[in-house]
Amino acid sequence: MNILRVDYLTKVFGQGDRSVTALDAVSFSLAPGDLMGLLGPSGSGKTTLLLTLSLVLEPTSGVIVFGDRELYRDGWASGLDARRFRRESIGFVFQGHNLIPFLTARENVALALRLDGASRQAARRRAAELLDYLEVGHRAGALPAELSGGEQQRVAIARALANEPKLVLADEPTASLDTERGLKVIELLKRAARDHGSAVITVTHDERMIAGFDTVWRMKDGRLSLDGDSASAPFTFAH
Amino acid sequence: MDLALQDVRRHVGRFVTTIVGVALLQAVVLTMNGMYRGNVSDGVWLIEQTRADLWIVERGRGGPFNEQSRIPQQSYRSVAAIPGVARAAPFLTYTIERSIGGRSQHVTVVGYDVFNVLGGPPTLAAGRMISAAHYELIADSKLGLDIGDSIRLGVHEYMVVGVTHGAVDSGGNPLIYLSVPDAQEVLYQQDNEAIRAERIESSRQLEALGFSGAQLEKLAPLVNATRPTIGAVLVAVAPSADVDIVAQAIRGGLRLEAFTTSQQRELMLKGRLARMTAILGLFRALLVVVSIVIIALLIYVLTVEKVRSIATLKLIGAPNWVIVRLIMEQSVVLTLAAFTLGFALIAMTKDRFPRTLVLLPFDTVATGAVILAGGMVASLVGVWRALRTPPSAALGA
Repeated sequence: MNILRVDYLTKVFGQGDRSVTALDAVSFSLAPGDLMGLLGPSGSGKTTLLLTLSLVLEPTSGVIVFGDRELYRDGWASGLDARRFRRESIGFVFQGHNLIPFLTARENVALALRLDGASRQAARRRAAELLDYLEVGHRAGALPAELSGGEQQRVAIARALANEPKLVLADEPTASLDTERGLKVIELLKRAARDHGSAVITVTHDERMIAGFDTVWRMKDGRLSLDGDSASAPFTFAH
Repeated sequence: MDLALQDVRRHVGRFVTTIVGVALLQAVVLTMNGMYRGNVSDGVWLIEQTRADLWIVERGRGGPFNEQSRIPQQSYRSVAAIPGVARAAPFLTYTIERSIGGRSQHVTVVGYDVFNVLGGPPTLAAGRMISAAHYELIADSKLGLDIGDSIRLGVHEYMVVGVTHGAVDSGGNPLIYLSVPDAQEVLYQQDNEAIRAERIESSRQLEALGFSGAQLEKLAPLVNATRPTIGAVLVAVAPSADVDIVAQAIRGGLRLEAFTTSQQRELMLKGRLARMTAILGLFRALLVVVSIVIIALLIYVLTVEKVRSIATLKLIGAPNWVIVRLIMEQSVVLTLAAFTLGFALIAMTKDRFPRTLVLLPFDTVATGAVILAGGMVASLVGVWRALRTPPSAALGA
């Protein structure tokens, strides 16, 4: 079963002559373990797609199906609690790492678990496991400001994986890293996707990272296409 | 996980500095509270501690505190003869500026009948009451005098035989108690040059009227003699007598003004103290408002600093109460810690303050509650800012 299916997703900002189509009939699907690279220039709609999939922005039209649950079809599904859904089902990795600056690496990871109702001990244990898994266990007690860029990104990935989300959305996770560290982060995301059965969408405009992704999609003017194919390609990422 | 306390723990220096700053402001608020109450307390101290049933002063005047009152010294004997009066005693009060203990000090002198219970200090912190008609005094501890010390007032030395604590006039100045004759001498005693000049002038006037020789010698002492006056007569009414009836008898029979202690207190509160009380009350209210505004601004700045973290929290699914708690808890911690520190500062230093500070528990608790509640309401600005922060801000959108 697919983790995520998106059909003809459209997002238009503004109205009339001033309207801007940020997403233009975007369609794709993701299965467990997929690591999708999403490339495109600034303003092409990459972040809008992430925000829409995060249930932060409401689409103008289209369909979003998460697992067997239809989240959007001409409006959000009734009873959908966006924050709770994000907390339980989506992990986020940000460009600027976005760790809470006054929490240690361990506390940053544990926070995601505590928000989801885990006990303090369980959250600490799971945070330690994840930090070890991402090879930053020895830095668990350090504050974000005391970590290198690469270490911060690993902690951010650990936080994203804390609640074992089905979908991980990574926004420019390698932007502040050199090529070697950037590829290492992509490798970690791929490993995490495989080991945890998650799907990962990684937005980047860094062409050097292409080699790390299973599939590379490109966005231009709100339209999504497989790398090398200029036409919109609904349902082409089939499993 | 308590995000607010973790933030405080990781930025201890900044929070402590902020708390100290707000604490100093709270200390000023509490000082104003203390001054407001102290102003009233000082203002009525002498009236209440004198424990007279009636204050008899010059007719048509609001003396002896709100304005000057001069009545003949012997009028207390007439008052004592009014039915219902158990005791009557002369009373005199005025302020002087003298060098005491090596520095110039503003002091209020109280002259009372030392052989009558009325008018003297209610209690002593050290020493004894005045037992001689002359050259003994009781001083308040604010003056820094000890038992056995002597000070010069006018032409005589006066020895300290007793010390009071907290005996002040309506302006917070320390009191000196003297016998009535001594108090009159200090008040009316002129220097020799002035006396000589006055005698020459009197003789010149008598000569102009045609007196000379033996007549002049007989008349001159009479003309130059000062007739000492007092400010008021204190009255203790007999237990069986009605205070109002006695007061009415004195007003009608002796053509003097009679105030009960509560009327004298009202005169003081509505007269001399009213403006200062209003000013202090206004300052007190303004400072509370300023305190709340500053706390609100601090919380707002603390919130704005955390906007990206708040957006991240929202994006990773933190419910609103987690974010509201983060802000409100810091507001409460900041306000309570600052108020406690401010109170401790004032409690430790209030006795060294130049004016009497009266910190009533109710005032302190009420002020703390108002500032805490105001600070929490004001920090809603920060909460509003936080709740308006879109989760998309975490992605830089």
